[in-house]
Amino acid sequence: MSDIKSEIKSDPAPHLSFQMKHCLGAFSLDTAFELTQPWTLLFAPSGAGKTTILRAIAGLLRPHQARIVSYSSYSRISLQNGETLTAELVLTDTAAGTFVRPHQRSIRMVSQNAALFPHLSVLKNIRYSFFDRVRNPEERKQNEADLKAILALCRVEHLTAKMPPRLSGGERQRVALARSLAASSCTLLLLDEPFTGLDAALRDELIADLRVWLARRSIPVLSVTHDISEAFRLNAEVLRLDNGRITAQGPAAAVLAEERNRLLAQLRGDH
Amino acid sequence: MDTEALLLTLRLALSTTAVLLLIAIPLAWWIASGTGLRRAFIRAVVALPLVLPPTVLGFYLLVALGPLTAPGRLLTRLLGHPVAFSFSGLLIGSLLYSLPFAVQPLVSGFAAVDIALIEASLLLGASPLRTFRSIALPLARPSLLTAAVLTFTHTVGEFGVVLMLGGNIPGATRTLSIALYDQVQDFDYAAANRTSSVLLLIALVSLLAIYLVPGTIGKRDDLV
Repeated sequence: MSDIKSEIKSDPAPHLSFQMKHCLGAFSLDTAFELTQPWTLLFAPSGAGKTTILRAIAGLLRPHQARIVSYSSYSRISLQNGETLTAELVLTDTAAGTFVRPHQRSIRMVSQNAALFPHLSVLKNIRYSFFDRVRNPEERKQNEADLKAILALCRVEHLTAKMPPRLSGGERQRVALARSLAASSCTLLLLDEPFTGLDAALRDELIADLRVWLARRSIPVLSVTHDISEAFRLNAEVLRLDNGRITAQGPAAAVLAEERNRLLAQLRGDH
Repeated sequence: MDTEALLLTLRLALSTTAVLLLIAIPLAWWIASGTGLRRAFIRAVVALPLVLPPTVLGFYLLVALGPLTAPGRLLTRLLGHPVAFSFSGLLIGSLLYSLPFAVQPLVSGFAAVDIALIEASLLLGASPLRTFRSIALPLARPSLLTAAVLTFTHTVGEFGVVLMLGGNIPGATRTLSIALYDQVQDFDYAAANRTSSVLLLIALVSLLAIYLVPGTIGKRDDLV
């Protein structure tokens, strides 16, 4: 993992395919896309339906019409003779009447407001879904080491005894991230603007470490932002969403070049 | 002092509180977790004892649980004695009569739990039941206490339903409020005064619990 920034793969096998039509009052969402990269960024101005898409993937929303299929990471491992196993898991299919309930999806989501359980300490929040019912002392030791690594990764070791109402905004987001990483059997991590409360230096370090951690476990990420600088910094595959429709998909430099030039021009003052 | 009536009253109030919480917790959770015609109808039925004269409720129960109806006859055969004019009859009446006092605070308590926390728990892979136990129930704990105390005190103070349904059998259906009524009928004002004092004390001490425990009313202590 020497260069964590350039990991866009040429492998086109998707780990999630998404198609949905949904109306929210006068706003209508009509999108279809496939996620193939370890880190995909959903870029859109506020109110373009980003959170609605995340909620549909997580199963918190039943769309009027949709088909959402996940291909778990282990199923894409190539066999020795060159074949690839693909087992698909249909999460939502309105035509067939399929709907997997959110707690059975193995999809973790860190929401913008962190949603920490206020009556549980930071450590209890993080351990909420941490698998620790192993009898074997060896495994148990390994589990505790895994948990320690997550605490270190999210920079929350010094917060474990605190109660959530006493944390700052950035601390809450880091605890929420740790809680999602500690939950067992994750096949896709959804991040809804989770780095907004962090200062720049800490954020870059954390994202770099997070990428290594996720790559080791082949957990893909779909994150959401309306911040163009974050899109360029992550250098991930970008899905551009405008008015409820996907208008472009590709590397940040290609998809957002126009947007960036416009912003730079605005900064220089020549419209 | 009528100790027999006091013990019977406490026994009835404690049994009613225990059984009613078991019924009201899932019912309130269901009501609080959505909207619609069905929920509105159930809420209206649950709230009925608030506005209905207790004697009306007592009369219907007397007829329904008596030998005139099939369920009444079935219950009589199962218990070996008529439900009316017995402790189990009183318990059934109290459960219905105090239902809104248990359900209302719980509905408010569950409705106040942030839906984002419920969703967060589900997205961590916790089942709906575990989410309810670990998140919704602890966060609604103050309402749980309010519901328990209101049910208890309301049952202690119950009169109309007990009179219609229980008759006035010492040791079986003669509660403090009925004893008080008898004492006044007999012009035994000294005894009536003692009974009233006990009822007043029970009510005051129970209500004190609501206001003493932090979080039941007003600010939550961990947010100060």
